[in-house]
Amino acid sequence: MKLLRLILAATGIFFLNISYLIADEAKMTKGLEIFNETAVCAACHVLKAAGSEGNVGPNLDTVAVTTESVTDIVTNGLGVMPAFGEDEILTKEEIEAVVYFVVNSAGK
Amino acid sequence: MKKSKNTPNLNRRNFLAGTASVAGLAATASVVPISFANANHTEGSKGLPDFINWKNRDALIVHSDKGIETHRSAIGEGLITPNANVYIRNNMPTMSDAQIGDKNNWKVSFEGVNNPKSFTLAELKAMGTTTIATVLQCSGNGRGFFEHGPSGSQWQTGAAACVMWTGIPVKTLVDACGGISSGANFMTSAGVDYEPTGLAAKDAMVERSVPKKVYEDALLAWDMNGVPLPNSHGGPLRMITPGYFGINNVKHLGKVAFTADESQVKFMKSSYRISPIGKKGSEYPTCWEMPVKSWITRPTDETGTVKAGKVQIVGVAFGGTRKVKSVKVSVDGGNKWQKAKFIGPDLGKFAWRQFVLETTLSAGTYNIASLASNGKDKQPELRMENRRGYAHNGWKDHSVNITIV
Repeated sequence: MKLLRLILAATGIFFLNISYLIADEAKMTKGLEIFNETAVCAACHVLKAAGSEGNVGPNLDTVAVTTESVTDIVTNGLGVMPAFGEDEILTKEEIEAVVYFVVNSAGK
Repeated sequence: MKKSKNTPNLNRRNFLAGTASVAGLAATASVVPISFANANHTEGSKGLPDFINWKNRDALIVHSDKGIETHRSAIGEGLITPNANVYIRNNMPTMSDAQIGDKNNWKVSFEGVNNPKSFTLAELKAMGTTTIATVLQCSGNGRGFFEHGPSGSQWQTGAAACVMWTGIPVKTLVDACGGISSGANFMTSAGVDYEPTGLAAKDAMVERSVPKKVYEDALLAWDMNGVPLPNSHGGPLRMITPGYFGINNVKHLGKVAFTADESQVKFMKSSYRISPIGKKGSEYPTCWEMPVKSWITRPTDETGTVKAGKVQIVGVAFGGTRKVKSVKVSVDGGNKWQKAKFIGPDLGKFAWRQFVLETTLSAGTYNIASLASNGKDKQPELRMENRRGYAHNGWKDHSVNITIV
């Protein structure tokens, strides 16, 4: 009985982790799609993980990126960078996904 | 379990980032058509982007390939900042030699004058020449001290330099064009460095309007500290607006127009506005005149151990659009101030002055601050809080803590 409970618990943890992995991978895939296609961030930024070579904005592989700073810049714009949130070019969920992708892939 | 759910899953993120799944995502990413020039940004062997690999890496702090700061101590002992140490702040990619072509044929047009004309660089050089020294300073210099964490390069003191520019006074060219048309209120300068990007002018053109009166001091520069103006600093021709923040000193200059209204491009209308934290809009002041400012360059935490005894406290001070008149130095965090002495040549009201206070310090820790005045205004103690972290000239944040042994 004890063994069965352990097996069930372990199975639960396994599936929980798998669901997290799927969620993260889905978010990364969505973020990449937004980066390259929806928002076309790729046209202006270098980001090795996206295969992009744009040279208008900073090279994202060489700057310090945090969720807070990237969210602010993507939402409100900075210099030539459009205000993707304020101007409703991207939804809040799309911003969250592209920020997640950038923060977790920049410099890697 | 509850704890782990609420804890940032750094391990999982690292795991994901290192797995084939992410590599696969990148590999299968749809290839977007990249039409923008991309030849200048590859990081070079010195840890600097290729387009400025001639610069002095040891003097520079690299925030990004578009934002590169001069170390506080690398402002140096001389009055003029060597080109190899001068900061970089680019809103558009630096134009390449191929994009610029024959520099002597570079053209700048004059509009909003009685006889609109276009001049080549070769023609400009035949029409007049002079040299002036100005402080070139990014509007966001000092942003790194703001506690609300404004986005953008976290400059401390090094987005500034004192530069000798050689070129032709704008006034000479205005005269050659028969004077300014009636109704003009602004001098509006436009760069052409957005053109190779393919982006729309309203979004990407660096076009800046300054009050018309600035033309009387302004210069079209083709030479920087004795060498042809490097592309990375806006060569072959740059507008110099003495006493005004760097953004108004438009690089890769293609047009000067005297206009009734301010430019409507993004870099004028919405960027570079000094707004309260949490607010933005074109109703707020733009980054024009630089306020009076100073900072210590030696000793600092970058200049090594300081021995007890006689100490030279050295720095730079400038007055914005007015001549800097005096500098005081404190070694106790601003409780007592002593008058510092200006040293070196005076290169005019738009240059900075070096100053020194010779004092004797025993072992201990000290907070050293400088406070400059231009006769009309003096540096405030505190920064002026604003959304983007512009125009910081508060003396307290710019002070340095040193240890004397």
